[in-house]
Amino acid sequence: MFGTVNNYLSGVLRSAEDYDGDSLGTFLSLRDVHVQNHNLYIAQPEKLVERMLKAPLDEVVIAHLKVLYYLAQEPPNYMEAYTQQAASCSAVVKLLQQLKDENWCLPLMYRVCLDLRYLAQACEKHCRGFTPGNILEKAADCMMACFRVCAADGRASEEDTKRLGMMNLVNQLFKIYFRINKLHLCKPLIRAIENCTFKDSFPLPEQITYKYFVGRRAMFDSNYREAVEYLSYAFTHCPDRFASNKRLILIYLVPVKMLLGYLPRKSLLERYDLLLFHDLALALKAGNVNQFDEIVRQHELVLIRSGIYLLVEKLKFIVYRNLFKKVFIIRQSHQLDMSDFLTALQFVGVTDVSIDETHCIVANLIYEGKVKGYISHAHNKLVISKQNPFPPLILA
Amino acid sequence: MEICGLVRGSCERYCPDAEAKMRIQKKLLNYFEYKDGQKQVPGVLVKEFTRSAADAKVPKAKDMRTELCLNKTVEYLLKDILLDERKPFNWVYDFVFDRLRMVRREIVIQQFDPKQTIKLLEPTIMFLAYSRYRLCAEPIEKFDPKICNQHLQECLNMTLCCYKELDDQSDHKEFTLRDLQRRCFIEALYQLFNLGTPEALVRGLTLPAKVREDDTFKLAFGICMNYHRGNLYRVIVDLPKLPHILCAVAAYKLQIIRRHLLEIFTHAYNNKQLTVPTAYLLRLTLVDKTQDFAQLCRHYNIALTPDSKAVHFNKTVFNSAAETVKAQREPFIEAKLQRIYLPEVLLLKKLWL
Repeated sequence: MFGTVNNYLSGVLRSAEDYDGDSLGTFLSLRDVHVQNHNLYIAQPEKLVERMLKAPLDEVVIAHLKVLYYLAQEPPNYMEAYTQQAASCSAVVKLLQQLKDENWCLPLMYRVCLDLRYLAQACEKHCRGFTPGNILEKAADCMMACFRVCAADGRASEEDTKRLGMMNLVNQLFKIYFRINKLHLCKPLIRAIENCTFKDSFPLPEQITYKYFVGRRAMFDSNYREAVEYLSYAFTHCPDRFASNKRLILIYLVPVKMLLGYLPRKSLLERYDLLLFHDLALALKAGNVNQFDEIVRQHELVLIRSGIYLLVEKLKFIVYRNLFKKVFIIRQSHQLDMSDFLTALQFVGVTDVSIDETHCIVANLIYEGKVKGYISHAHNKLVISKQNPFPPLILA
Repeated sequence: MEICGLVRGSCERYCPDAEAKMRIQKKLLNYFEYKDGQKQVPGVLVKEFTRSAADAKVPKAKDMRTELCLNKTVEYLLKDILLDERKPFNWVYDFVFDRLRMVRREIVIQQFDPKQTIKLLEPTIMFLAYSRYRLCAEPIEKFDPKICNQHLQECLNMTLCCYKELDDQSDHKEFTLRDLQRRCFIEALYQLFNLGTPEALVRGLTLPAKVREDDTFKLAFGICMNYHRGNLYRVIVDLPKLPHILCAVAAYKLQIIRRHLLEIFTHAYNNKQLTVPTAYLLRLTLVDKTQDFAQLCRHYNIALTPDSKAVHFNKTVFNSAAETVKAQREPFIEAKLQRIYLPEVLLLKKLWL
């Protein structure tokens, strides 16, 4: 089933001569069957390869064969494999620079960068002796070199420009930056894509991934409307057969929308196994501060791991709003005693709350526009507006 | 990773002989390096900071200090020099800052392991954090907070990485309780220094349980979470509970918190007839004296009654374009710092918790 090295090399040569980026990418992939071919495990493949292939493609292939060699060792030498893959990536940069006004080799670049990231992840997992995240960050630097070549290719026509490869790389880089918690590095990448004249003509799967990450970033920056816009796009365009991806998107989309006043449908949450949000929504609707806290505490680990703990914590003031609205509904008056709010808080199980804090919470709600009115400190009363004292959050 | 061309220091003095000779000859000594009371007589020299440059040779072993010597240098700087009261503190700061910076460079050149690095960096962090508070009201010519912040952040990041590395080493010996206590203090410092940034909170949430369950860390992290939730009341209530240096670090953001609170109150208590008693507001903004509060009000254009006993809030006239008041030394923190022996705390020998 497996051929000799020469078979493999002539395959590579043929794809290069045919400008077939996809098949060239497969030849250099670590997920392809050829990685199981023992004939390719060569420690020093330079001479063999240089005879068949021209520079700089030969460098790409030499490094790739070395990667296979190091991975085949027992146990696999991930560190060396990574170093070689990085060399392969730099050779791809040279290749890209050499091929002016052509972009057929973009699939090769995608493949090499993707494997670089996988190997960096493997190093982080299995190897010691460096700062955590360091290898991934270095991998990101290699990819940035590719990115710069692509982004600078402004002269070629719209079909042939390497700028079409930008979004794929940006998505790869996003994955790294989110993993190592360096979100500020995403900003220049987003700017580069947004300034692209043909930003809507990138392939749909790439756009979905891109919007997913940009949405998550907006979420961290507290740009909730923008986050909803991007994440909704990702959710609606992601085909149904990728249920786990859709679930991933929902994990962020649901709480952001809750923050803007939209509660999720139970059936939707059921379908994606996210009923945690249903419980959260019920507590939120009821203004049950303690129950809300309890649910958050129970699911703390899940929430932290999926990166929405901080967001969910922000829902707290909405819980207060809903609780205080209930006080208003019971009292049916436009002058509400501040101590009623305190009692309400104590009623739902907040034991360590004082009248000062109650004032501060109400003050905050007024400031954020969630309650319309003013507090009279002298009378210890909240005077609320005759019209729409608790404006719907969706409008706020 | 391979360790190649590693140079280990062999110098046992604060300042290598070659540098000492050169600087004495060229009269390049700092005020603190002259013998006390005697002009022109060299006293204790400490290796000064130099940049790595392309033309500089690889430092020789005798030009670099041993680990023990570096620790002693840090101790000398943070005890003898820190307590030297002959000159204003900004002189002390400039000198110690520079010399500690060189210590940091040697850590990098000699590629110390995480444990050694932590031991040397923790006091540097404490010193920068303390100085930043102590000098916060100084004019820019005497103290540049931006540079100080930058270096503090850098030291923190480096130290935090070392902690993480030790966490990941499964074969390492368990932390001693003292080590853990120091770490928790520094982790808390990092949180408060980065109050309001999601990156720090994310880190805080994913720390090992032994740190998250520490009382000091819990208090500090709780403040950060409440700040994130928007519950500034709890921030204000908990802030004075923090120990000395941590309180000083948090106080740096106090003016921002005060401003925000006042802005919230102008909306909430917005009424032409009604007033809010000053005493209540003093309590909620952690301001000691009425005249300080009156000054704050003037700055943001908030009207006080003639007797200063109450405040008229009016959201339309609040000066939202005003710059936030500069950080200042706070009486309640001064009182905390009075009660500790500073060198012990900065060197983390005893934290006085």
